Amino acid sequence: MVEVVHSRGKDPILMLDAQERDLMHQLLGEMRTLLEADIPRVDEVTRRLFPDAFDDPDESNKFRELVGDELRSAKLAAVDAFDEQLGGAGSRGISLEPETTQGLLAVLTDLRLAIGTRLGVTEEKMQIEPDPSDPEAPAMSVLHWLGWIQESVLAEIDGRGGRWKWS
Amino acid sequence: METITAPERVESDVPEVDAAPDTPWLVIVWNDPINLMSYVTWVFQDLFGYSRSKATKLMLQVHHQGRAVVSSGSREKAELDCFRLHARGLWATLSKSD
Repeated sequence: MVEVVHSRGKDPILMLDAQERDLMHQLLGEMRTLLEADIPRVDEVTRRLFPDAFDDPDESNKFRELVGDELRSAKLAAVDAFDEQLGGAGSRGISLEPETTQGLLAVLTDLRLAIGTRLGVTEEKMQIEPDPSDPEAPAMSVLHWLGWIQESVLAEIDGRGGRWKWS
Repeated sequence: METITAPERVESDVPEVDAAPDTPWLVIVWNDPINLMSYVTWVFQDLFGYSRSKATKLMLQVHHQGRAVVSSGSREKAELDCFRLHARGLWATLSKSD
């Protein structure tokens, strides 16, 4: 179960149970594979994670040549950092430090974008409870679970007026 | 954008955030069905230092109108802002202001 634990004078801790941690490790591994692969631009998920910056395709390609590798490196570094923080059995949870939480939220976003884009979700589809018999139901549940984690972390930031002042 | 929490209360006296007329490049964020409203609001606060109310107003503009101009300036600044938005998973583009 996703939970944020507080103790005075320390950064809040995001707790996931063992099953959730395993699932997150798996998702992070898949995201790493996706980011490391040289996937053609026609892939819808890659296009969402590395969007065209301009209306003009030539300008977009130039922009991508300029900063695409940097963007990819930044995303990969955030995945690695989150994976490391997640730890293994006996992990005491993820310490929500100001320096790392921004990356954690970005990784959760990329995971949600990858899953949601692959499923072709719409705003209407996001609002309804997935039908358990739907073959897409497990992926939709993961999408909502990631959203719940993100909301929990954002609530921590929000409780502090949107500023990075913990403890 | 996905709504999990209740809609935000928005103050009505927030100033318009449209680009100044002499700034040639606009950074535009587009609506998508996946990103959380709370996340998008926070990204605007965190990246651009906008107040909560300004960030919320921009987020709602993206949500309801499909897009919003979130920053503007020189081409270099606009490209950097766009890059930073892409790094946070927002769908951003830039265009020259006419």
